[in-house]
Amino acid sequence: MGWGDRLAKVYIALIILFIYLPVFFMIALSFKSGAKISFPIEGLTWDWYIKPPTGYEYSAYISILHDNNFFTALNNSLFVSILTALLTCLLVTTTALALRKRIVGRDLLFYLFILGFIVPGVALGLGVAFMFRLFGIESSLLAVAAVLTVYTVPFGLILMMSRFDPDLATYEYAASVLKASPLNVFRRITLPLIIFEVISAAIIGFLLSWGEVIRTQFVMKGTGTLATYIKNELSINPITPKWFAAGTLIAIIAFIGLAIFAYIMSRRVR
Amino acid sequence: MSIPQLKMGVLDRVSKYSRYLLLLPGFVLLLLFLLIPLSMIVSISFFERFTLAGPENFTLSNYVTFFTSPQMSTILLNTFGMSLIACLIAFLLGYPMAYFLVFRVKSTRARFFVVSLLLVPFLIDWSIRVVAWLPILGESGIVNYSLMSLGVIKEPLELLFGRSALLIIWPQTYLLWMIFPSYLALTRIDPDIINAAKVLKAPPHRVFFDITFRLSLPGVVMGFIFVFVSTLGDYITPALWAGGIQTLGLSVANYAANFVWPYAAALSTILVVIALLVLYVLLKVVDIKKLVY
Amino acid sequence: MGKALETRDLVKWYGKEVLALNKVTFDIDSGDFFVIVGPSGCGKSTLLKIIAGILDYDSGKLYINGMDMKNVPPYKRDVSMMLETYALFPHMNVFDNVAFGLRMLGKNKSEIEKEVKEALKLVGLAGLEKRMPLELSGGQRQRVALARALVINPSILLLDEPLSHVDYRLQRKLMEDLKEIHRKVGNTFILTTHVQEHALSLADTVMVMNTGVIEQIGKPEEVYNNPATVFAARFVGEINLFSAQIKSWDGELCYLNTDIGELKANPKNKNTLSSGDKVAYAIRPERVKIGEEAKLYENKIEAKLVSYYYFGHYMEYVFQTGGNAKIKVSVPTEKVGNLTLGSTYLLGWSAKDALLIEKPCMIEGLDIEEVIYGK
Ligand SMILES: Nc1ncnc2c1ncn2[C@@H]1O[C@H](COP(=O)(O)OP(=O)(O)OP(=O)(O)O)[C@@H](O)[C@H]1O
Ligand SMILES: [Mg+2]
Repeated sequence: MGWGDRLAKVYIALIILFIYLPVFFMIALSFKSGAKISFPIEGLTWDWYIKPPTGYEYSAYISILHDNNFFTALNNSLFVSILTALLTCLLVTTTALALRKRIVGRDLLFYLFILGFIVPGVALGLGVAFMFRLFGIESSLLAVAAVLTVYTVPFGLILMMSRFDPDLATYEYAASVLKASPLNVFRRITLPLIIFEVISAAIIGFLLSWGEVIRTQFVMKGTGTLATYIKNELSINPITPKWFAAGTLIAIIAFIGLAIFAYIMSRRVR
Repeated sequence: MSIPQLKMGVLDRVSKYSRYLLLLPGFVLLLLFLLIPLSMIVSISFFERFTLAGPENFTLSNYVTFFTSPQMSTILLNTFGMSLIACLIAFLLGYPMAYFLVFRVKSTRARFFVVSLLLVPFLIDWSIRVVAWLPILGESGIVNYSLMSLGVIKEPLELLFGRSALLIIWPQTYLLWMIFPSYLALTRIDPDIINAAKVLKAPPHRVFFDITFRLSLPGVVMGFIFVFVSTLGDYITPALWAGGIQTLGLSVANYAANFVWPYAAALSTILVVIALLVLYVLLKVVDIKKLVY
Repeated sequence: MGKALETRDLVKWYGKEVLALNKVTFDIDSGDFFVIVGPSGCGKSTLLKIIAGILDYDSGKLYINGMDMKNVPPYKRDVSMMLETYALFPHMNVFDNVAFGLRMLGKNKSEIEKEVKEALKLVGLAGLEKRMPLELSGGQRQRVALARALVINPSILLLDEPLSHVDYRLQRKLMEDLKEIHRKVGNTFILTTHVQEHALSLADTVMVMNTGVIEQIGKPEEVYNNPATVFAARFVGEINLFSAQIKSWDGELCYLNTDIGELKANPKNKNTLSSGDKVAYAIRPERVKIGEEAKLYENKIEAKLVSYYYFGHYMEYVFQTGGNAKIKVSVPTEKVGNLTLGSTYLLGWSAKDALLIEKPCMIEGLDIEEVIYGK
């Protein structure tokens, strides 16, 4: 291993550390009792037994586990994100397959899809809010998912199209001269070759919609998704370890989910 | 006399137009949730009021008000400048990461592992992650604590307020937006192209700048666009941390929260125009379509 | 004459499974036109990439013009290379692609202009300067890659299959041009091909490779007339091979039991052979005579004509013996007689023309019969 490889490893580790920095602190602070957040961290607590929240000096985990709105928001978030993931994966696949061929206005269409990401979140959120107001439409989780899909599709599209095998079309022609019907060409040739990207698109849909606050904020009514709920709580109330406990809980679930997913996928990739 | 012809099945007919059919769902979504909302923003920005009955009284005053207001230049500069610097920092940090991942991490498994690792924080709530900077950069956070105990400074630095907050938090939060497209672009470069440059007498820095970097530019530009527009639209980080830094996005949110719809719409329109202008300039420099076709 | 290139026990592994080069040792004189020929996947490209420095080797030594090349980056080596995949820079037009190396060498503008023009004219692409690589045909791309490597004019020029994708006429023209450039400039050319005719007609020296090892190095006529191994014989030119065992000697003349009956040979490698040895009995198709003429020779055999191939200036007949072995015979077109498919003819050849090859190939542990009849 040359020094270049070593430098690369160190750099990659540093960047990962940088990205994880707030996460580490979040986890550390979630075990803190009391409300003040400062360094060095004092008064760690492991009060894992469930007792109803009374004063200030209880584990942050108890107060988050007793927050009903938190669970409503979690529910909403799961619904929105799963729906967005499915929509993203479907739309990205169909669009990418269509844009692959030379069709009239291909560039224009491509830019139009990218526009979904380019338009700043506040602006688009506001626009959708206007539209609902003008046409008297009640907002719903479905609408949130649709708005978020506009935002996630460009990402998935770029991923899928940039990874398309340049010879994909050749393989399809080969299959069709070998007597495969269009449906079979798709099922036997196209889909197996792009399945990795299809799944990736779904994941991107999930990840992006899970963290999105700005667009959701404008469209959402009520408790909202986890992201908007926590954001609203944080901007009204002082910051307490409760939210770090919430973050840690989410992180644990996320980590397990991603680990399982990564394990399955890593058996597919080579 | 008629010429005998093979019958086309329904499926054959469908597949003949499949490319247009395939575009339909995506297009419907764009129409309903992008094009119509955008045109609403633009049109409402030209009215005085927007009530339940619809917009009233055509006027240009929203724009006049903004462009004659004393804060106008500060706001535009904040918005534009902060986003651009954040992009630049994200690029300086993120591009080497993408480069090393592609050219120095040989095993696909290890690469996959690192990419997965980068994704985990995404699932942790965004605001919590932003807030979690408090124990690091806050008044009594680790940075100030260390600096003060080392005696480097007497008073805690106000790292989390004002511009510095944005320039630390934004690049960190949106770093993946830069790494991701750069990474994709770099993986698309045929290793033999780089080999060819090497055997044609190019020293390492020329190989990098003339070939590798040049060919990954579409991805870099895409990354710039992603980070730029993400930060343009992000009014929450400035709202939570950068107290006193007024950005265009934050103004939109504030006016919208106070139901000053047309003015918020006008500011949004300006925001969209800035985003498109930057996009246009970048596209003039590099053809980002190269990343995908 | 000095050595342009020396390798000593070069070993290259891809991962833990593929041994692409297995202790490859050879020298190339400077000014040589050196052609590496071998079947697909035998390690030709790997070897060239190692010489160019874009691939690292695992062990062994590599010297270029007498200097050790370990850890010397490609751009500091006095070589340039045309890659098998062409690898044209997609963001540069034809002119810029060809000019790239010259710019790297820091030549001035007018020089670059002149040399690029010349190189493009040489490969027959004058006028296409402004085209982008994607707007070229496969063969045109190959020629741009060739021109790009040629203009640099290094002391060693590596060409990985430079003629594979162009039509026959252009192939001939480029072959002539390459030879002429080589004669004029006097630098060392190392070229790979899997087309044996190219190897024979272009090379000053031919190297026959077999998965990771060298089978034989020599002048083209040497390799053709005296193949060192059965593999080399099979790979360079057409040849009839029969598995055989030495029965007895009568002075210079050797009697053998073969698949197609008793045959005689008058081998040059007499000293190393003794009775009972298993060898390959080889005879080139052009040495076999048909009919009346055949009666004059020591080796005679009856065989049925089963098919023929017309090659313009010669005709190749395929005969089948009683033992189901095939014998190929080539006859210059002007001497072709009237033969009918399915009839039986007398074939004959001189014992002096027959070769007895002892070694199946340079890879250990292979049985001679396996190599003779293909795996
Ligand atoms: N990057 C690689 N990873 C693993 N194995 C490789 C790699 N490149 C080449 N090989 C293997 O190494 C061996 C030699 O390959 P090489 O490209 O040198 O062959 P070649 O003689 O140039 O063949 P061809 O005439 O088809 O170009 C082959 O078995 C090939 O499969
Ligand atoms: Mg090769």
